[in-house]
Formats: sequence, structure tokens, C-alpha cells
Amino acid sequence: MNDMRPLERIVDTETVKISARKCQVFYGDTHAIKDVDVDILDKTVTAFIGPSGCGKSTFLRCLNRMNDTIDVARVEGEIKIDDEDIYDTKVDPVQLRAKVGMVFQKPNPFPKSIYDNVAYGPKIHGLARNKAELDEIVEKALRRGAIWDEVKDRLSEPGTGLSGGQQQRLCIARAVATEPEVLLMDEPCSALDPIATAQVEELMDELRQSYSVVIVTHSMQQAARVSQRTAFFHLGYLVEYDETGTIFTNPKDPRTESYITGRIG
Amino acid sequence: MSDQHIASAYDRDLEAIQAQIMKMGGLVEAAIVGAAESLEKGDLELAETIIAKDAAIDGLEERINEECARAIALRQPTASDLRTILTVMKISNNLERMGDYAKNIAKRTGVLAQAHPIDGAGGSIRRMARQVELMLKDALDAYIQRDAELAQDIRHRDGDVDQMYNSLFRNFLTHMMEDPRNITSCMHLHFIAKNIERMGDHVTSIAEQVIYLVEGELPGDDRPKRDRTSYENAEPHA
Repeated sequence: MNDMRPLERIVDTETVKISARKCQVFYGDTHAIKDVDVDILDKTVTAFIGPSGCGKSTFLRCLNRMNDTIDVARVEGEIKIDDEDIYDTKVDPVQLRAKVGMVFQKPNPFPKSIYDNVAYGPKIHGLARNKAELDEIVEKALRRGAIWDEVKDRLSEPGTGLSGGQQQRLCIARAVATEPEVLLMDEPCSALDPIATAQVEELMDELRQSYSVVIVTHSMQQAARVSQRTAFFHLGYLVEYDETGTIFTNPKDPRTESYITGRIG
Repeated sequence: MSDQHIASAYDRDLEAIQAQIMKMGGLVEAAIVGAAESLEKGDLELAETIIAKDAAIDGLEERINEECARAIALRQPTASDLRTILTVMKISNNLERMGDYAKNIAKRTGVLAQAHPIDGAGGSIRRMARQVELMLKDALDAYIQRDAELAQDIRHRDGDVDQMYNSLFRNFLTHMMEDPRNITSCMHLHFIAKNIERMGDHVTSIAEQVIYLVEGELPGDDRPKRDRTSYENAEPHA
């Protein structure tokens, strides 16, 4: 029976990309993330689920030091990417964010042309030596964002003129243009219709061939569909972290069971 | 309607589950043919193989159940996808039962090889098993092709299996009345014939699932039932 192709969603790598130990986050006196230990795998989509205010977005923002931009936020503990402490004083947060890309809830293209939206990151990080190389990078990123065919004839038009779903895929293209190793997505589909959502989800599945993708989502169904690993957060704790199929068919913690079956929120 | 989901992994999951049903069906077909052959030839070695292979069929059923549960939990299938998952679960259950019957036939080969032989019984049983095996093959084809017409045809062919069972039933009864030494053989042979008749019912159920899968509802008409043995008695016919 071993000759049968295993189901798609089984995780096929065990390489740890991001590792957090005893991670704490405080907003002033509020203890938002408590003792989170987690190993996020490479070439895997990992979903963070949990009720509003459970800390899933806060924890996601620790992974590229976005919390540095909030004055009252304080992060303790250890977060390593590829065994390198990202909170080390030697680490430049701007360089880190080139390596750890992010896509937000609302599509937020720059008020520039479609081309410039994607070219901006590679330009400031000096990834292209000339126009031809930059063109190549832009095309590749737009292809990875599964939007190339729709925009290739109007690259000079403003990115803000696209539909919501197209804007979000443009933002994904922009995020992958700097060749990140990790892609963080905070509610990337909540402003999209079901078809655009399905397209972005299919895109995530393709992106995981090359990246470690971490997604925060309010939709448990979305977590179930796109991820291979799921982490359930509740009241700042990481309650359960396991293979997605296991979380949705046989969770170990009663709090996880209550949440995914719609009994607590 | 496009055949493909935007989420291509969903298509791959559904295909993988259905590939397992086909694999299971192939194993059950082989078990039916093998069991009948072992019986006719008194081939104990073949019977042992059939018995041992049933574990693989049971294993597949378990796996299909797990994967269906997973698909329901992760994908929330709707419409034809939902019917696919529901029918896969029922069909795997039918196939598992058929595997058990084949195993039971193989188990009786040992006793029957020792017992008083009944002329022609082995051949009749083999023909009946062959008929069920062909029905199963067609039912699985109908499933893959989503062919409701073929499925409808299979439902009606089960009547032939019922008639074969009726005639074997009367035949065994006659043998037993003629000579009590035939009782052991005939009792076992009767269980075997009954098992094959039940297999035919399971194939019919698979065919009905195909109709449900394609048309969205089970067939409304009652299919002709020709198993009359519930009304038989041992008195000679007047």
C-alpha cells in the first residue's frame, strides 16, 4: 500500500526555518504574548488561528520586528531565523524585512505604477544592476504573484486602479520581488471575494515550494484549506500546534476543540 | 462547469481518494475470483492467500475513511464534491464487506475439500461468483465514468444472481434430503452461495451510489428482487 501517493497536505519537510523560545510581548503593562515556543518549518504554510485579541497578529509581527515600530511594545525571549537571533543588535531591521516579506489585510499598493510598485524593493536593496535586470525581476515577481497575464500590457498604469483581488496579488508580487525567505500574511484575503480568495490561496500553495509562508487568518476554513501546520492561540498562549489535518479532525486540547467547533470564540 | 478547482491541491486530494477506491475494488475483484477458484479446485494454498490478503482491503477502507474525514474537515466539500466524498465512504464500506465474504468463502475451502463432494456445486458457485465479479467491475467503471445508465443496468443484473441463488438453494435442499452425508457440504455450500448473493446486493448498492453521485438522488423505483428462498420449505413441491 506504500506505493500510493500520500495526500497533498502532509508536510514533507522537517527543516526548521523560524524558531521561537519563551517569546513574550508586552504592550505597556499588557502581557500580550506569553511564553510562546514554536518551530515554524521551511517550505510549509503555517496558519495562526484564534479569536480576536488572542495574540496571533502580534506574534506574526514579531517575526519581522514590525513591533519595533510601536513605542510601547516590548519583545522578550528568543526568535531565530535560520539559527540567527533576529533581535540581535547587529541585525538591521530593514535588511531583515527584505528577507521576511509581509502582506497585509488591506491591499496597500504604493500610489505609483504597477511596475514601480514591484521594482521599488529590488531598487532600494540594489538587487538589479541595470534596467534589463530590473525588468526581469519585475516580470518574475508578477508571474509568481499570478497576476502577470492580467497586467503585462499596462505596467505603467497606477497600481491603485486594479481590482481588490488584483491589488492584493500585486502586493504579494511586491513582497516576493526582494526574494524573501519567509512570507508573512496578515489576513490577506479578508477584503477579497471568494474567487480572488481562492486565487490567493492557490498562490500560497505555489509559494510554499520556495518559501516558508505564515498566515494569520480569522477564517478557520481558510487555515484548513491552505496550511500544512496550524497553531491555535488563545489569550496570548500558543495552545496547540500540529499538523493541520490533526488539528481539524482530532485536536488534543479541549480549548482547540471548542474553538474549531464554534463553541468558544 | 470547469472540471478543476482553483485550489489544485483539492483536485489532487479527491483524485487520490478515488484512486484508493479503485485499488480496493481491484483487490476485491481478485478476492472473489480467487475464492471461487480455490473452492472449485480445493486449492488450500490459494485459499490461504485470499484469507491473508483481506487485511489489505480492510487497511484501505480505514485509510479511505480517514482521508474522507480529513477532506470534510479541511475542504468543506459541497455539491458534487460532497456527493463524491459521501459515495466514496459508502462504496468503501460495501467493498470491505465483499472482501469479508470472499475471505469467508476461502475459509470454507478446507472443510469442503474433506467433506462429501456435491456434483456440479463448485462450477455453479464459480459461475455465480463470476457474475458478481463482472457486475463489480462494471460498477467501478460506472463510478469512474460517472455513468448512471450503466449503473442502472447493474441493478437489474442482480436479479440473475438472485435466481442463481434460488436454484442452488433448492438444489442443496434436495441433496440433503436424499442423503444425510451431504449435509455438511451442503450447509457450507449454502453459506457460500448466500455470501455471493449478499455480494451482489453490495454491488447493487455501489451502483445506486453511482446514480446518487451523478443525479443527486437515489433511484426511486424498486429494483426487481428475485430471491424467493425466504418462502421455501423442505416439503417436496406439490
